[in-house]
Amino acid sequence: MESVKRVFFSQKFILGSALLILFGLCVYPFAILFYTVLFPKEEFSLEFLSAVLSHKSALRALKNTVLTSFAIATLSGIIAIPLAWLVTRTNLPWASRFRSWFCLPYAIPPYIGAIAWIYLANPTTGYINQIFGEGFVNIYSYGGLIWVQTTFLYTFILLAALSALDKMDPSLEEAARLSGAGPFRVFKDITLPLIQPALWSGGLLVGLASAASFGVPALIGSPARIFLMTTQIYTFQKMGSMSGIFKAGALSILLLLVALALLLLSQKITSKKRYQIVSGKTARPSLIDLGPWKLPSVSVLFVLLFILFLMPLGSIILTSLSEVQGSFGSLGFANYHRVLFEMSETGRALWNSFSLGILSATAATALAILLAYMGQKTKIPGRAWLDILASLPYSIPGTVVALALILAFSAGFFGIGPSLYNTLAMLWLAYMVKYLSLAMKTIGDGYGQIDDSLAEAARVAGASWAESLKSIWLPLMKPSIVAAWFLIFMPAFSELTMTILLAGPGTETLGTLIFQLQEYADASGGGSAVLAVIVVLSVLITNTLVKIFSKGKYGL
Amino acid sequence: MSKVIFKNVRKSFGETDVIKGFDFTIEDGEFIAFLGPSGCGKTTCLRMVAGLEKNTSGEIYIGDRKVSAPEEGLFVAPEKRNIGMVFQSYAVWPHMNVFDNVAYPLKVAKVSKDEITKRVEKVLETVELKGLEKRMPNQLSGGQQQRVALARGLVAEPDVLLLDEPLSNLDAKLREKMRKDIRRIQKEMGITVIYVTHDQVEAMEMSDRMVILNRGVVEQSGKPKEVKQSPRTAFVQDFLS
Repeated sequence: MESVKRVFFSQKFILGSALLILFGLCVYPFAILFYTVLFPKEEFSLEFLSAVLSHKSALRALKNTVLTSFAIATLSGIIAIPLAWLVTRTNLPWASRFRSWFCLPYAIPPYIGAIAWIYLANPTTGYINQIFGEGFVNIYSYGGLIWVQTTFLYTFILLAALSALDKMDPSLEEAARLSGAGPFRVFKDITLPLIQPALWSGGLLVGLASAASFGVPALIGSPARIFLMTTQIYTFQKMGSMSGIFKAGALSILLLLVALALLLLSQKITSKKRYQIVSGKTARPSLIDLGPWKLPSVSVLFVLLFILFLMPLGSIILTSLSEVQGSFGSLGFANYHRVLFEMSETGRALWNSFSLGILSATAATALAILLAYMGQKTKIPGRAWLDILASLPYSIPGTVVALALILAFSAGFFGIGPSLYNTLAMLWLAYMVKYLSLAMKTIGDGYGQIDDSLAEAARVAGASWAESLKSIWLPLMKPSIVAAWFLIFMPAFSELTMTILLAGPGTETLGTLIFQLQEYADASGGGSAVLAVIVVLSVLITNTLVKIFSKGKYGL
Repeated sequence: MSKVIFKNVRKSFGETDVIKGFDFTIEDGEFIAFLGPSGCGKTTCLRMVAGLEKNTSGEIYIGDRKVSAPEEGLFVAPEKRNIGMVFQSYAVWPHMNVFDNVAYPLKVAKVSKDEITKRVEKVLETVELKGLEKRMPNQLSGGQQQRVALARGLVAEPDVLLLDEPLSNLDAKLREKMRKDIRRIQKEMGITVIYVTHDQVEAMEMSDRMVILNRGVVEQSGKPKEVKQSPRTAFVQDFLS
């Protein structure tokens, strides 16, 4: 018994199991996806791939995806770059507050925005059209799709730019001013070229995220008959036939290639043009005096904040409270009562999302504690691959991850055990796979900050490896562990892209319920608005908790 | 080539006073060292001359021109002060080669191309960097980057050259050579120099006069030898010993 216990708690056994799970979750499903599509009859064949490539709707989806992603990335840059400059380089009033307000959409799932904008700008009953006349704006259009995506994804470029600007040695810009260049000239000649690599990789991340997104294209694009690759995969998969699955699989390999191309491009740009712009000395940059431009700048930012954030937020709040949809009169909590207490699905969906969020956050954090240990604190050869493997599913579009999981685990684990299709276990695995890398990064940072000698001292004092993990590493890393947990819980709680493909009757979650209510079940009743308000509230609460627990290091 | 005058200059960050009533005149063509421990306010004084910090009250003159007087709402932006500056981190722009780095102040001033080439070449000769025009900063040693920064500070023939602990990141041998070179160039060009350092050897060796600062107050100023021989306060005696 004692020897069994010793083996079970040995470093090799524990870390080995973690490694196995990593392979099972992050490598195996994708191998199966490729195998299914490329070896349809146990023999290599490009039949499915060429079939899907000659499929008109698939090609149109590819074209739409590439074009809208490009437009969204460009528009995001136009919004984010001046914003980043204003809040970091000028004496803009309330700069730090503007900064966190404008970063906030990063944490909110974009499909919430799609719902908000549908209430604002659907062609007949949208609030904007009620004010300015019917048909003033139509959200169901390319423009609408690009706009709603941009209102969330600009934060990717904003965050990249802010971090580059914060880290930059201020004397690089000061030297240019003393050379006689005015503030705008300095920005053009010095700042912009130096943060360019960060901007490019931020922009490519926007492209990647918009190519991978499902909620906004499904809610806004599909009614306008605008299909992107993700929504086309969804359509194929929902056909329910084997050929539908194969088509979906082939198209998702195509989507994977698009994503991979973007990732490689981003890697290339950042590695080629990386300048050393960080100084050892932390100095406050001298701020540019906006002078007479102070008031206009603040006004423009407030208007932008209103359009990007407050107006959509107001729209879902108003809709959730309106007892007669599409009218401003008679407000009350009737919708809340109906959705929360009269619909049986709501309680189930909330419970599913909540428990799945907790389970996947806990499991992924635990796994990350072991894997990050291997990556940071051991000398195992090939340990650099751990991070790469774990970040694979995070970079791969959720639609593709979901499809790979369906193919891999529909017949149980490696063909053993029951099918996981349409079970909560499948969703649990999906969230864990997708968000594992968030925990790996956060916890990896945590390990990096703690000196090895602390645990070595425990070992010398007689503690086993497992005991040193429990009594030294874990207590010291508590802030990173808590932050990692919340960073997974937050997106898992409201996930839609993967869930929509994986969930079945009885396993609906908050995301799929909102989607259903919005799509057909309760389109005129404001039910989706009620749940959208709940999602926004829980995001705000979780974000605040993360900020408090990590003492401002994580969270927005 | 100008005087620099501080008239009752104060600087506070929030509640704390960093500079408490600084009165001082730097003569035309003089080499002045601001010496003191870290946090004494010497870098803040320098950055106020550059216009990178705004004084809270008092007046600053460069030559005959008043460049900062908050009570009158007057503040001349750094790019309009005709000043050269060398930073502790060198601040050589990593995306430009040596020539473009040094030529930048002239480009901004819209000097003609031929004139730029001529003047950049001349200043690169002065700082002994000829032949390295096409090198990128990451191909240069620390000492060479330092010289690029110096050349860039001098190329537009500024009224005043400001140096913020320029030698603190160099090794001892190089530091000694740079000390001599900076002093030689200053004498050749007859330029007014303000040199900030915490190293008394540098201040003693290079400056015409030195100003010893402590907690935002001038403890003593004068010729290096005089200060060394007759320190007026216990702090100065302790600091120079």
